[in-house]
Amino acid sequence: MMDSLDSLVLSIVPQARTDSELRRELVATCRDILASHIGKSRELDTGQLSDNIKKHLNQLSPSGTSALRFTNLLSRLLDQPAVSRKNASLQFLHALASSSSRSITNGPNYLPALVPPPTLAVLPSPAKSPSEALAIVGSRKGRSIADKLKEFRAVQGIPVLPEHLLLRDTLYLLQGISGKYVQFSRESEDKNSVIFVGDPRYRILEPTKALIHKLAEVGHLYIRVDAFVREREGKSGVGMIEQSLCHHLQTQLTEYYRLIAILESQMGVTDKTEDALKPPASAPTNDLIEKDTGLTLKRLDVWIDDWRLRMRMMSVCVEGAKEAYGGALVSTIHGYTDNGDPFVRKFTDQLLEEVSKPFFTILQKWIFSGELYDPCDEFFVAMDPELAHYQYIHPKAISGQNSTDFGLPNILGDLDEGSSESDTRSRLWEAKYRFRKEMLPSFLGEAFGRKIFSTGKSLNFIKYSCGDSDWVITRQRLTTTKGDLKYSDILGLEKSIDAAYEIASQRLFDVFFDKFKLLDHLLALKHYFLLGYGDFADILMDALAPNLSRPANTIYRHNLTATLETAIRSSNAQRDSSDVLRRLDVRMMEYSHGEIGWDVFTLEYKVDSPVNTVLDADSMMNYLKLFNHLWKIKRIESALSAAWMRTAGGSRTFLRLADLNFQWHKIRLVMAEMIHFIRQTQAYCQVEVIGCSWEALHQFIQQKKGDLDSLIDAHRSYLDRIVKKVLLLTHKMGREESLLNQMRELFTIILQFRESTDNFYNHCLSESARRDAERDADRGVVTAGDTDPRVQENMDQTLRMIQEYSTAFSEKTQTLVHGLQSHHDLDCRFLGTMLSFSDFYKTKKDIVKAQ
Amino acid sequence: MPREIVTVQLGQCGNQMGSVYWQRLCAEHGINNEGILEDWATEGGDRKDVFFYQADDEHYIPRAILVDLEPRVINNILTSPFANLYNPENIFVSQDGGGAGNNWAQGYAAGERLYEEVMEMVDREAEGSDSLEGFMLMHSIAGGTGSGLGSFLLERLNDKFPKKLIQTYSVFPNAQEGDVVVQPYNALLTLKRLTNHADSVVVLDNGALARIATDRLHVQTPSFDQTNQLVSTVMAASTQTLRYPGYMNNDLVGIIASLIPTPRCHFLMTSYTPFTSDQIDKAKPIRRTTVLDVMRRLLQPKNRMVSTTPSKTACYISILNIIQGDVDPTDVHTSLLRIRERQLANFIPWGPAAIQVALTRKSPYIATNHRVSGLMLANHTSIASLFKRMIDQFDRLRRRNAFMEQYKKEKIFENSLVEFDDARCAVPPRDSVGAHFFVGQLLRNSSRNTRLVRAPITYHM
Repeated sequence: MMDSLDSLVLSIVPQARTDSELRRELVATCRDILASHIGKSRELDTGQLSDNIKKHLNQLSPSGTSALRFTNLLSRLLDQPAVSRKNASLQFLHALASSSSRSITNGPNYLPALVPPPTLAVLPSPAKSPSEALAIVGSRKGRSIADKLKEFRAVQGIPVLPEHLLLRDTLYLLQGISGKYVQFSRESEDKNSVIFVGDPRYRILEPTKALIHKLAEVGHLYIRVDAFVREREGKSGVGMIEQSLCHHLQTQLTEYYRLIAILESQMGVTDKTEDALKPPASAPTNDLIEKDTGLTLKRLDVWIDDWRLRMRMMSVCVEGAKEAYGGALVSTIHGYTDNGDPFVRKFTDQLLEEVSKPFFTILQKWIFSGELYDPCDEFFVAMDPELAHYQYIHPKAISGQNSTDFGLPNILGDLDEGSSESDTRSRLWEAKYRFRKEMLPSFLGEAFGRKIFSTGKSLNFIKYSCGDSDWVITRQRLTTTKGDLKYSDILGLEKSIDAAYEIASQRLFDVFFDKFKLLDHLLALKHYFLLGYGDFADILMDALAPNLSRPANTIYRHNLTATLETAIRSSNAQRDSSDVLRRLDVRMMEYSHGEIGWDVFTLEYKVDSPVNTVLDADSMMNYLKLFNHLWKIKRIESALSAAWMRTAGGSRTFLRLADLNFQWHKIRLVMAEMIHFIRQTQAYCQVEVIGCSWEALHQFIQQKKGDLDSLIDAHRSYLDRIVKKVLLLTHKMGREESLLNQMRELFTIILQFRESTDNFYNHCLSESARRDAERDADRGVVTAGDTDPRVQENMDQTLRMIQEYSTAFSEKTQTLVHGLQSHHDLDCRFLGTMLSFSDFYKTKKDIVKAQ
Repeated sequence: MPREIVTVQLGQCGNQMGSVYWQRLCAEHGINNEGILEDWATEGGDRKDVFFYQADDEHYIPRAILVDLEPRVINNILTSPFANLYNPENIFVSQDGGGAGNNWAQGYAAGERLYEEVMEMVDREAEGSDSLEGFMLMHSIAGGTGSGLGSFLLERLNDKFPKKLIQTYSVFPNAQEGDVVVQPYNALLTLKRLTNHADSVVVLDNGALARIATDRLHVQTPSFDQTNQLVSTVMAASTQTLRYPGYMNNDLVGIIASLIPTPRCHFLMTSYTPFTSDQIDKAKPIRRTTVLDVMRRLLQPKNRMVSTTPSKTACYISILNIIQGDVDPTDVHTSLLRIRERQLANFIPWGPAAIQVALTRKSPYIATNHRVSGLMLANHTSIASLFKRMIDQFDRLRRRNAFMEQYKKEKIFENSLVEFDDARCAVPPRDSVGAHFFVGQLLRNSSRNTRLVRAPITYHM
């Protein structure tokens, strides 16, 4: 090392041969340079470096010509594809130049010789043996550095491995086969590298090695892709999307083989010429000629360059295919289309076009005929296998419409039977198909995917659950003529899916409202369960009242059914269609000991498939709950009306007991308070809650927008809203029903009050009869026997009870009003306001606060 | 099982009101003047059987009894296009045809004579109903037949049907000018029966009717027909919820029970808006008809069909607004809150009170050019001023014992005129706020230190 440095210094700086001091200094400097970390630690980028160099050159020759020249050279160098470490080379040269400039006055004379042409200068890995190379350069001027290098090598003795041999190996490598000199690493952990099998006679130059490495990458990728394709070919249960991916890859590979074949044939030409000239190094001139026509590693690199990228893409797809499946795979591939490189974009677009074909076939079937034909489970819609066989509609649901014999028990019985089955049926819409977000190709977007999902679901539902397959088939025929859906036409795809969605949802709406009369059912539920038919409810209540006051176990259902029919016949309900009426029934709920008819009576409305998709079991439960509550309110109202009739009507006839007038007055005032309470509550339920909620639902139905899901949602929110507000549910955990319970307590108090006033009324009757008898007795006519001394006692007791109930009612109402006024729900708060419209229930505290 | 209501129309005024009322009901239910349902009247949802029954030949026949002591008005009806609508058996015209001579006593006496015949009609109608809810009486209290015969019938109906409601639509005389000089006598004598024997009285003040007709219709002297149109509109609206059933207010008891807390405070006043040309000829069109507008206008005294003297202490005991038409329920909400905010209505301090709102459908067969219309039925203490005026007028005549001869001719006043003074005492209002009118000392809430609430047993000023 020292020697070579010495000789280098001597050859470059002739003065040093005589001046040992200078030589020592130079050698030390050179050593410093070699030992320094330039090029390792401080990686300057090309721009910076060139700036530095220019600055340096300007210092040396202020005219600027050399800097200009450098710039030209540099741009030429940068254009050269052959040199890979341009930056490093520049840096080396720069370092060299700047170190010499310090002490050597005529150094610049030599430097230009080194610089042009830079490409050639850097070809031999300069860091390795610069001394020898430079020695030769120094001795033979006028020849290109490469030639010099070659000569130098020839002098060295060990010949470079002939390129054609390497070329052949490289071609093998490209096909994934190890060659004689270059082989793929067999070790598992180092699969990505090639190893060069040493041949002592030859050596392989480092740049050549690097080149081969680069080329070998393609081979390596090829192995992977090829292996993937082969593996999938043989395997069963491979998805269609994957199959088409394999197909596409295969076509690409065939293309690749063709290229290799061409290259091989070219190499054959080279081989022949090469064989004729042995040893190769001895005929450099021929070599040059031959390079113009034949194949070299570098040319091979150029040829293959395009494929490298392609192979990379393919390999990435292959990698993706290992993890993803079906739609997700399409998604993965789609992820690469967002690429600025037009080549990559084009390639992936092509690939997607192919790969998504099976996906679109499934899609087409799904959105135009509502069939999920997905044998390999690749689509983003999946079917619940358990529900798959529930495709056939209950025949009664269709024939039932024609049945005119209304209310007959056997029909009702039929509706009863198989209720568990109809439960499953009601879940069909929700549970039969599942949306798999992860399988949705990303080019569709989730909202769009949902649309597709809903479209197919709607069609499927129309076909199988609504028994309208004719329409679907007709639709299908109409649409298939429009042409295939494909990836490249996303816009058209969106359009046709939008159209299909629109039509399917519209149709489903129509089917529900026209064929299955959903609106009629909703109205029926509103009329019967939410007591919209006031006259019907009144009559039913009047007729049932005596029955329902009896213990629950003494009431028979057939009596109730008969009453129901009477109520229907004598109210406006008779105008409802027979289909609605035959679904209406009365029932006793499960009762426990001590309960009376009022506690267990309920109406019932039977719905079957497919209407029960909207009116599912939960909804019906809610309707029952509401009916229960509203029915109770109605009961209180009619009890109060009857009581009012007694006290008011009585006032003008027999209640002429002056001493009891004050008691009656008090009773009337309390009763007025109760009537106010119950009527405001009723008005609130009717107008604020049911009216407003219905308005919203009705508007939604009128618009006919959205699909069945949105219809179900709309109905659900309609019902939820009513339940929440009618039952005054609060959102306090565990105390949701506290206000409801308060209200129920009030109901109980009203009924008890009513009972006590009835007692008082009866007492007054007997009292006035007694007084009449007294008066008669005064006139000498005896009409009645002795008076019971307990009467007075009973009356006092009754009056005490009345007083108690009155006080309790006022207090509890006040509490309820206050609870309502701080309710989180504005409508419930409104009820509080209405109950205390004239601020009657304001507490002293409130009044003080207001002041 | 409809809750039937039998209408009894008495005297000249009652029959005129009735005839317009029935015309209106027919129009609203799509029944032609022969009582046949029109072919186009297919829209359901209404209940015709509250006020009509169907004869064997499908004719709809009003549950109405027409009684008069002179034949003129009833003859007019019987020569009108609606002649065949009524059941001829239910029409009673006094044989002598002399009328009651604007004398209450004469009408009352005629009642005793005609009792059998009239009661037979009433009984027949009552028996023809499944579940009779009550009677609706239409009359004026100024003349002879409506007041005298009306008083008599009220007493008897009350006796005979103690468990049925009796509601009257009573036209009160114009306070300023009376066509009948003895009308203060007649009115007060009838008022006693209205107080004691009716469950609810809808007061229609002739003075206010004339005022509204003049204001709204721009007529100097409105014709009988025009005021009757006003009245029929109000009556039809007040029975709207019975004829178009909804969630509530389907029965008369419910409505009345909510309006009348104590039995003698049962004089209701009404307001209606808007009157437009399709109801009454040449009415001024009112453009904006939002729910709030309607409810606000209903509360304005000038729209009340009773002329009362404004007073600071007067307040509402109860209010029921019957709103018809195409109403968004959310509007009701905001309107009520707005009215409460602005304190457009004062309420009694001795009990809870609020504006009740009943939404009801409009007849589909009558086209109107306004979206919403409303009727207010209200129990307001200022009605006492009307009674006070009547008593003042009565006292003026009574002090001079004027015009007593005609009355003394009849049996009831043969021996003494004590009935006059009795009637004066029975009338609800008092001109002084005596302590004994506040009977109620109600223990309202023990937790609030026994607040005493004094509620009047009758109206006070």
